Amino acid sequence: MKTKAAVLWEVNAPWSVEEIELDAPGPGEVLVKIAASGMCHSDEHLTTGDLPFALPIVGGHEGAGVVEAIGEGVSWLSVGDHVVFGFIPSCGRCPSCSTGHQNLCDLGALMGLGLQISDGTSRHHAQGKDLTLMCMLGTFAHHTVVNEASCIKIEKDVPLDKACLLGCGVVTGWGSAVYAADVSPGDTVVVVGVGGIGANAIQGARLAGAKRIVAIDPIEFKREKAMEFGATHTATSMTEALPLLQDLTWGTLANKVIMTMGVGDGQLMGEAMALAAKRGRVVVTNIHPAFEMGGANMSLLDLTLMEKQVVGSLFGSGNPRADIPKLLGLYREGQLDLDGLVTKTYPLEGINEGYQDMRDGKNIRGVLVYE
Amino acid sequence: MKSKAAVLYGIDQPWVVEEIEVDDPKANEVLVNWKVAGMCHSDEHFVTGDMVPPKELLAMMGVDDFFPFIGGHEGAGVVVKVGPGVSSLQVGDHVSASFVPSCGRCRYCSTGRQNLCDLGAGTLTGGMITDGTHRHHVKDGRAVKMMAKLGTFSEYATVAEASLIKVEKDLPLDCVALVSCGVATGWGSATSRADTQPGDTVVVVGIGGIGVNAVQGARMAGAKHIIAIDPVEFKREKAMEFGATHTFSSMTEAIPHLMELSWGQMADRVIMTPGVLHGDMMGEAMTMVGKGGTCVVTAISPMDETSADINLFQLAMWQKEVKGTIFGSLNPRADIPRLLDMYRVGDLKLEELITKRYPLEDINEGYRAMREGENIRGIIVND
Repeated sequence: MKTKAAVLWEVNAPWSVEEIELDAPGPGEVLVKIAASGMCHSDEHLTTGDLPFALPIVGGHEGAGVVEAIGEGVSWLSVGDHVVFGFIPSCGRCPSCSTGHQNLCDLGALMGLGLQISDGTSRHHAQGKDLTLMCMLGTFAHHTVVNEASCIKIEKDVPLDKACLLGCGVVTGWGSAVYAADVSPGDTVVVVGVGGIGANAIQGARLAGAKRIVAIDPIEFKREKAMEFGATHTATSMTEALPLLQDLTWGTLANKVIMTMGVGDGQLMGEAMALAAKRGRVVVTNIHPAFEMGGANMSLLDLTLMEKQVVGSLFGSGNPRADIPKLLGLYREGQLDLDGLVTKTYPLEGINEGYQDMRDGKNIRGVLVYE
Repeated sequence: MKSKAAVLYGIDQPWVVEEIEVDDPKANEVLVNWKVAGMCHSDEHFVTGDMVPPKELLAMMGVDDFFPFIGGHEGAGVVVKVGPGVSSLQVGDHVSASFVPSCGRCRYCSTGRQNLCDLGAGTLTGGMITDGTHRHHVKDGRAVKMMAKLGTFSEYATVAEASLIKVEKDLPLDCVALVSCGVATGWGSATSRADTQPGDTVVVVGIGGIGVNAVQGARMAGAKHIIAIDPVEFKREKAMEFGATHTFSSMTEAIPHLMELSWGQMADRVIMTPGVLHGDMMGEAMTMVGKGGTCVVTAISPMDETSADINLFQLAMWQKEVKGTIFGSLNPRADIPRLLDMYRVGDLKLEELITKRYPLEDINEGYRAMREGENIRGIIVND
């Protein structure tokens, strides 16, 4: 069949919205009519080359839609089911999946190839070429064919243009606070960078009972947004935050520091560590350039003597199959704000405008909504 | 196809070894040739009726008669045929049975608690996990239920993919069979559920196929004292071989010694693994638990027993806890291979667990020996 998709043909070029050819789903695969897709910073990393994936590629990995057809052997989805895509697949059988760490599913190893999990080929084609898929999903398109391992079935009462955010940003941010940082009631938490991830780290810290949440962002609009999501204080930089934090905590500093910037910078780790209290934990959630030079600038003596911890986190250390339905439940009960995350919606054709708005710091989250 | 199987036709009857009919696997099912079956106490609970659901409960589940029933849930075998849609197994693969299935997709599987997989809900109701219909029939054509939907007391059985764990072929199948239930349950009771820490004092009550592995688990977790309690001398001797430091014939006998040994602090962990647990045993068990200590209930109690002798004042004031466990709170897909690898490097004793091997025809003799306390574990071997 034919569908429309945003394709990246080369690095540093705009997204090309064009008609592509889509094959029928193979064994274990489903055809999904996508309703909406979040515009995550990670897809921007494709265009800058920070994430060196094979091109041409259909971007997008934060999506939700309705199953239109199923391939042979699909056992847990039916036509008409509503699904959110997990940006990491979960097979349910590998050692990571079997011990409650689906975010580290062994199938994730195939992600960089952007081809189908079942047989390593492509179902998407344009201009006579095979297309790869961002995170094996390709949600910047009206339809896609993906493996059922990447689909999480959800209830039909949740609007898909909100549910799509659960595929990446919301769980990543929320889980960074709740699981990776393990925020406890009474904690002082710092969130560095208030975009689609950081805003949800704030929501997670609030729900986990943090006493103070200090949100750091240079952009005033984002600091205002942070207060709406539950921050108690804001600062424009870590340098500015340090004296504030010293004052607020009677010198004991932050129990948890969560790094959720647009792009991480190893040279800033020293400043981040300086915000952490004795036994404080710094969570690195944001993407650093794959070939970042110079490593991380931090004192290892400080690490030992103050028993500080540095913890990495992927998908907020959550389990897509458990946490996506769990967070939609919180949304339903009014304890998780998804509506407030969406600053602006765009049609697929508006994708380049949307990313320009992101670069200009105008959006917490832009969302592509397809008719 | 035809298969030899041990069928139970009612409570307090012997196992009848006879030929049954086994249907081919349908979607997401696998035909397994069970090579080895462990003779676990849980299967005996169906003979005594302890685990046979009462009529009213069966009626609620839409089941009119619990029998005929094929026992066996500890097992290892070889895949003979695979049905459509099976993706994790091929013909010739060696497999371990897993008495709790693991779908890999429900809330519990998705959070590292496969032992609580939602598919386990139908364990005692009969019918396949996949579609609820039956693949096994006795001579008169009646459908026969399978213990844990595995029926390892049959030479051949059609089993859902969700209940099978692939294992490497270098591992002896008799060792695989033991790990599939008893070893994992006992070992995990001490490590995962009791969370035994280096330096702890641990008491294990009842040294059968489960208890002896709780002793092994406590040893590997670094327990300082491991006190094994069993009335049978042979089992107390076995416990010492598996890492116990002290043994006693009863809780009553153990209590004053435990008090002295621990300078009055009593045990950090008490693990209950007798053949059958009754509520009136919990009083002494909780007496052995120290301040802030943990009592893990692993053993099967009669289904209709609803009271336990526990002093709740002491529970609160001394911050004790009582925790249940199934499958030692482990994840079958991760932990069965993990335990077998500990066996490979020599950390986990498995061969030493096997007291005697029986052909399927001698199953009743094997269970007699178990009841008399002659076996740590008897196994059925199909040649």
